[in-house]
Amino acid sequence: MSTPRSETTFYPAIEQSERLGNWSGKNVPRKEDKRLLKGQGAFVDDLWMHRQGHVHFVRSPYAHARITAIDVARCEAVPGVYATLTGEEVGELQQPYFQMAPEPAGAMKDYCMAVGKARYMGEPVAAVLAESAELARDAAELIEVSYEPLPVVVDGIATIEPDAPVLHEEIGSNVGWHGTYDYGDIDWAIENADHVVRIDRLHFHRFSSTPLETSGALVNWDPGTGVVEFRTNNQMPMFAAMFIGPAIGLGIDHMQFSSQDIGGGFGIKITSYTYLTALALLSRKAGRPVKWSESRWEHLAASAHGNERTFLDIEVPVMNDGTILGFKVRAFDDAGAYLRYEPLGAVIWAQVVPGNYRFKHVRVDYTESLTNKCPVGPNRGYSRLQHLWMIERLVDIVANELGFDRVALRKLNYVQPEEFPYETPNGCIYDSGDYPAMLDRALELIDYEGALARQRASARSGRRIGIGIGSTLDSGTNNFGQSRIINSALPFSGNGEAAIVRLDLYGEVTVTIGTSPQGQGHETTAAQVTADILGMSPDQVHVAAGYNKAANTYVGFSGTYASQFAVTGLGAVMGAAEKLRGEIIKVGACMLGSEESDIELADGFVRLAANPEAAIPFIGIAATVFANVAELPGELADSVTLNCRYVYRPPFEVPDHETKTGKLTLTYASQVHAAVVEVDDETGQVTILDYAAVDECGRKVNPMIVEGQVHGATGHGVGAALYESFEYDADGQLLNSTFADYHAATSLDVPHIRTGDIECPSPFTPNGAKGMGEGGGAPLSTIASAIEDALPDGAHIVFDTHNNSERVFELLRSAAAAGPRGVEVISR
Amino acid sequence: MLLAATEYVRPDSVEDALAALGGTAGSRVLAGGQTLINVLKHRAASVELLVDVSRLEELRFIDVSADGSVTIGAATTYRELERSAELRAAQPIIGEVAAGTVDRQVRARGTIGGNACFADPASNYPPLLVALGASLQIAGPAGVRSVPAEDFFVGLFRTAVGPGELLRSISLPPLDGAGVGYRSLQIAADSWALARAVAWVGAGEPIGAARVVLGCVAGTPVRAVATEARLIGGPRSTEAAVAAAALAGDGLEPPADVHASSAYRREMAAVMAKHALFDALGLQDDR
Amino acid sequence: MATEGAVHVIDVTVNGEAHRTPVPARRLLVHFLRETLGLRGTHIGCDTGNCGACSVICDGQLIKSCMMLAVQADGREIETIESLGEGPDGLDPIQEAFREHHGVQCGYCTPGVVLAAKTLLAENPQPSEAEIRRALKGNICRCTGYMNIIRSIEAAAAAPGGITR
Repeated sequence: MSTPRSETTFYPAIEQSERLGNWSGKNVPRKEDKRLLKGQGAFVDDLWMHRQGHVHFVRSPYAHARITAIDVARCEAVPGVYATLTGEEVGELQQPYFQMAPEPAGAMKDYCMAVGKARYMGEPVAAVLAESAELARDAAELIEVSYEPLPVVVDGIATIEPDAPVLHEEIGSNVGWHGTYDYGDIDWAIENADHVVRIDRLHFHRFSSTPLETSGALVNWDPGTGVVEFRTNNQMPMFAAMFIGPAIGLGIDHMQFSSQDIGGGFGIKITSYTYLTALALLSRKAGRPVKWSESRWEHLAASAHGNERTFLDIEVPVMNDGTILGFKVRAFDDAGAYLRYEPLGAVIWAQVVPGNYRFKHVRVDYTESLTNKCPVGPNRGYSRLQHLWMIERLVDIVANELGFDRVALRKLNYVQPEEFPYETPNGCIYDSGDYPAMLDRALELIDYEGALARQRASARSGRRIGIGIGSTLDSGTNNFGQSRIINSALPFSGNGEAAIVRLDLYGEVTVTIGTSPQGQGHETTAAQVTADILGMSPDQVHVAAGYNKAANTYVGFSGTYASQFAVTGLGAVMGAAEKLRGEIIKVGACMLGSEESDIELADGFVRLAANPEAAIPFIGIAATVFANVAELPGELADSVTLNCRYVYRPPFEVPDHETKTGKLTLTYASQVHAAVVEVDDETGQVTILDYAAVDECGRKVNPMIVEGQVHGATGHGVGAALYESFEYDADGQLLNSTFADYHAATSLDVPHIRTGDIECPSPFTPNGAKGMGEGGGAPLSTIASAIEDALPDGAHIVFDTHNNSERVFELLRSAAAAGPRGVEVISR
Repeated sequence: MLLAATEYVRPDSVEDALAALGGTAGSRVLAGGQTLINVLKHRAASVELLVDVSRLEELRFIDVSADGSVTIGAATTYRELERSAELRAAQPIIGEVAAGTVDRQVRARGTIGGNACFADPASNYPPLLVALGASLQIAGPAGVRSVPAEDFFVGLFRTAVGPGELLRSISLPPLDGAGVGYRSLQIAADSWALARAVAWVGAGEPIGAARVVLGCVAGTPVRAVATEARLIGGPRSTEAAVAAAALAGDGLEPPADVHASSAYRREMAAVMAKHALFDALGLQDDR
Repeated sequence: MATEGAVHVIDVTVNGEAHRTPVPARRLLVHFLRETLGLRGTHIGCDTGNCGACSVICDGQLIKSCMMLAVQADGREIETIESLGEGPDGLDPIQEAFREHHGVQCGYCTPGVVLAAKTLLAENPQPSEAEIRRALKGNICRCTGYMNIIRSIEAAAAAPGGITR
């Protein structure tokens, strides 16, 4: 029933299922919701084990300090304290984590707690295990740590200067990775362009999508079996295992991971493996299960932050007709104190080298630097949103400086709908899209003409109106082979996800997947595609909640991250459901004495298409295979298990390390957002008056869930653009580590979001879907664009992603100052 | 979230509360708890004894006199202030400010007395109480004394309430036709203020009496004396308000923090003062 | 080091059930609900009373249970998310509206948000979007951008017969 649909030279032709449609594509209410609405979810802090102790971490108040002594004697003497763990012990008990960076940064010795010295404020230096959480905190105050403060570096560019204090002596500098990406011929383009627009500096700030549930775990090192059980909300457990296992000598067979409900992740819960390591060591030492619930300040100060990136010396060659030839830039990405997912970010952005545009010539000189700040981790839109924001800034700036209409300039330079599949300068293949139509739709949703009229009417009012546009991409289904672009020795490539769909003893259809969802509704969408393939209703499909390594199948890439479930996760479920369908039909045909081609599946029955009265319920199939097997011919009995595993594997090859080219991601969901803002001339305060989000993600399995992801990504972007920014002082002290000071956007801050959509099915995926959810950071681009549009002539360019009222006030004032504007144009 | 060990008592009367407060060093009044409990969570202060006054009916009342003067019990919640029609009639700004305080949950428990006694420079009520010419009644072992709002706020997180004392009530003189403006520049809606100004201008022209008070610019609410002096004797005009407000930041050296620089706060204090004056004078912002 | 401090016996009604329980003075109401009573639907999302994940209803009003000591609940009636909907599977109309309109993603803020919706609709059965937004200000959601939460509450308000209770 499947037919080849895709005719492209970029990938081998694939089969797209034609069975989807009865349930897929519908707004099926989520299977997860009943338990979550009734407070019956099982989040990590809800779990409990007999004899458990509670953990409290003692953390460095200094951003950089040698630890000269730790005295735990008074703490350990407190009745009810079970054990302590110090960095010194960790240095003995743990091997440094595997590093993905090549030498010299690959020599970094990173542990689960500070060993010898602390390199960021909040880094754990000791841990206490006690009979209650209160007692653990009380007793932690009795641990005496002696520090010798060291010079601090917090600037991601200054840190690579020769005189900067070095964080990791074994590396010898604060460079975590450096390389140049050079595509086309940017020097030729700059030489031959009619105009070159030079932008001094753009800065993408540090923030976190900060899930409402913090990290946590209940960990038990079972002394009898040697198996360590991690009940945790880590969102990529197989990745965590890759770090934890070698560090403390555990094979994957001795690590059990499970989660049921996870209270949001957004990537920030990927790198919690350091804490899981410490908890495992503490459990082994104490001979007890250990429970840890991160506090909000710990989460904000010392879990993971999103990447901060500074772009210097941007040059953009432009032709008289508005054609932008490309750009060159020096990028400094600030990884914080350790490389815990980095330097993967040093290549991940290359999935979207030209953004949504036909740029042919691009050079990016990329430095991953280390500073005395919280280590970064993937955060919604990881590494691409920084790059895409820079591109949208330069497009707006080119338009403003050279007098092009911003809409027309975008439409001229966008990859055109007829050009898909489109190959980028670095060999990535954009699968499908229609950016001009999306832009039109977004402008329609904000009533662009009306907004322009308001803008004209308000010109002298002191309430300045600005209109902004942001076009971005959400690339999904990574080719992990791109890791070899940053380190040719890394043994990763391709991608995949695994699922099992089985017909259980009494006719139940159950699905287990390798993913660890955090609110994306996997139980529902997996049930929708399974129901379509097996001819039943999603209500009849049981999808196991959450992830359980012992019960679910998995591959090395398993987890929930990087906008890929609709492709990898559902690809695996669909493949497994098809296999099961085949087995059910085989058994059914035998039992009905008919040909397989005469069989159909409907309403949970196997039946003859020509005579629906001749039908066997699934329970009949299951009962025969599992409990009445002698009735089946031996050959058939040997060939069916009704327990069907499938691994979806996208058709990737290994990218080229030397040229830094290859197919880095399979799908390209896209976003065009538009906003109207009001900027108060007197204060710089920005108010969003209208906001439209037009997203495209191929064929949608559950449109309601897709729209919910669009809303959420928009909320995060708006929050980051106007409110959320981690601020460190020169001593490396994080100045806002609570929700009182780190203002997470509220219902009064996130505007009403009008959504629009366009469907451009992916030719490369089994269901025409594209991964989505991260959202590409479109609001960051859109709001920067709108603020710039509201500024008076002669003002400095909008140079930062974060624009609080004071920064906008300074921009407003810059117009009168007539100083440098951060941009210059050289025309031939 | 895990507090240090402490003791707790819930007295049945102000008298018993005073006895409890006086009897233990390190005792502290617990009213709505919407700030104090955070302080305890962060173990920023050590408190030996919490004296819970949140249920004392003696401290929960809104009295509006025939002449328009108002007395509010210190443990009256924001929600009660927000919903009192009588108060809205006599002193509308008190309820309006309550309605925009943080969020519903905080308004259900947080109290005006707690807000005043915590004396956070970014708190809503201190500059308002100064501008309205409020007086605050402090109960102690020796009885009740009344302190003008201007003398009540003595420093950063410090008030005239001494050890063993508690704030009993807040009294507001009648408005008598005065206009009041209250303006804040916030980091987000119903959130921390970066700059705040409250203007109270007596009825009549030329202006006979005016108080302009700034929040968020120093440890205590600050009277913008130059602004007030410029207003008094002058007309109720836009030009006069603009000219007077421009003086509001003079001489200030506001603290800088993660949200705003000192210079920006100073400038914004003047902007807020201008808008507060416009509101107090019933003038339109014709930008 | 400080000692545990005195223990107070409190009488508190939670979801209609009376409890007489000793609590140390320092114990927050949220910890009492979650750990002493095992009502895990009330969540903890921050340390500063900003996020509202711990919102419960105290004597009819929405409060944050991390901003109140358990001992202060003495004599009070507390309602938590576990009080809504009949039995282990029943959804009350507000919960049903959240399910239909995708007002839930990760579900962590959800119990507090649903109680916020319930108390809002009890006071204002036909709220505008602006009124809903104001009523939700104390409940941070990191997943939904609030849009579908608002839609869900609008739908609950518009449902035939309005809301129950």
